[in-house]
Amino acid sequence: MPVGDAPVGDTSVATRLVVRGVSHRFADHDVIHDVSLTVRIGEIVAIVGPSGCGKTTLLRACAGLVSPSNGTIERHETKIGFVFQEPALLAWRRVEANARLLVDGDNYVNGDSYVDGDTDGDGDVIVEQLLAVSGLAEHRHKWPYQLSGGMKMRLSLVRTLAAKPQLVLLDEPFGALDQLTRHHLHDEFLRLHAQQRFTALMVTHAIDEAVYLADRVVVMSPAPGRIIAEFEVAQHVPHSPASRESSRRYDPSFAALCGRIAARLGDHS
Amino acid sequence: MKRVVPPLIVFVVIIAGWYALAYSLDNNFASADGSALIIPPPHMLFDGMNAPTWQRITSAFAISATTAIVGLLISLVVGVVLGVVMSFSRALESALWPWLIALQVTPIIVLTPIIVRVIGASFGARVVVTVMISFFPIASNTLFGMRGVPRALHDIFTLARASRWRRLTQLQLPAASPAIFAGLRVSAGLAVIGAIVGDFFFTRGTPGLGRLVVFFFQDTRSGPMFVTALVAIFVGLGFFVTVSLLRRLLVSPWDHN
Repeated sequence: MPVGDAPVGDTSVATRLVVRGVSHRFADHDVIHDVSLTVRIGEIVAIVGPSGCGKTTLLRACAGLVSPSNGTIERHETKIGFVFQEPALLAWRRVEANARLLVDGDNYVNGDSYVDGDTDGDGDVIVEQLLAVSGLAEHRHKWPYQLSGGMKMRLSLVRTLAAKPQLVLLDEPFGALDQLTRHHLHDEFLRLHAQQRFTALMVTHAIDEAVYLADRVVVMSPAPGRIIAEFEVAQHVPHSPASRESSRRYDPSFAALCGRIAARLGDHS
Repeated sequence: MKRVVPPLIVFVVIIAGWYALAYSLDNNFASADGSALIIPPPHMLFDGMNAPTWQRITSAFAISATTAIVGLLISLVVGVVLGVVMSFSRALESALWPWLIALQVTPIIVLTPIIVRVIGASFGARVVVTVMISFFPIASNTLFGMRGVPRALHDIFTLARASRWRRLTQLQLPAASPAIFAGLRVSAGLAVIGAIVGDFFFTRGTPGLGRLVVFFFQDTRSGPMFVTALVAIFVGLGFFVTVSLLRRLLVSPWDHN
């Protein structure tokens, strides 16, 4: 039975993703065990847990890239975007062509049969906006290898968001970046979220990142991963999520919540 | 300067060695007219050349170069198709791979007489020999290149519901292209070898560079023999430079590993 602030499986509000009793086995052992999780429309949920607890497997199952051994995942006709820990750029496409990869058009990947495809043809406009917002517009003709780590990750985000996904799944997207770049990208991510209002489920091992970005933080146990706690961030850190000011990082309540989550993680390691 | 001077020094050493060898061999200049019998020194290289000899070398060059070019192009198609097919299915890979290895370790030259018997001493037979000698590096490199595409990139295409064709043309082949070019470079050298060495078994018709060297050897015309060998070297060099230029044009701008 999950412990925490928020009831699991509460479907009284509009949901984007409902995970019910999902377990997944590799060989003869469970990687994740009986995980239930509901993500509401527009919400940002962060999953924290020790490495090897099946966070990535859970995320891949939510994307439909893995069929779980048990349980169900409901995501209706949701258009999914996935951001990987590595930028996963196509080295042979310039910055602009990478940004357009998932946008409609004959030359692009989803030109074939994106079931829930965007047909209003404003892909160009969105790509331009995103390139401008992320500071990549002036680098549009560069090759991926010419970008810094932070810029590569920005481009990865731009490519994903250009397709206007309703649900964005992120697998430790800022994990490989230095602290300063990471903080910049956090704020950029929140700005983009405020614009596009997508729903996000993010996996991270950084507790402060989870508390800073998410409306709700879900804590997983070591393998086999189970959900052992959930925290509504707004109940603990007064400034969020309505007014997302970067100064809340320095609020004592922010550190206090990080501490509580760390304690829950520590109980089980 | 650093890229030009060291090779130039080696060039001078080679020419000096050539002279030293030509003048240190007994009987090298024991002919009636003083021309070299075994190794002509560089300045006497073209002494034995005349119009009919140039004509023979030119036609030999044409036939060998054409064989190598057509053979390499077919190798490229055959190699890439085999690599792609094997990367699509483990079953096909395990069915085909041992036989490709068997073909690869077979000195194809020993099969040439059989091929000539079956197909006839035609241009087609020359090309078949060349393809059999040269396609393997392209096939294996295509396979490994296709297999090496990172999972995350595949996931992106899966989530976008990309067709297999789109995945192949927009993800796997571009990702494999550096490896394919590395294979193509090896295959280009093999195609030249296949075209020239395979020529030894074509006893009728216009000789290629391989058989022409043997003719000049039998006639003890060392000058034309050396010129023919030099032409063969330039064919190989031409292939190498062409493949390198293509690589520099298509792959080098973005491939920085």
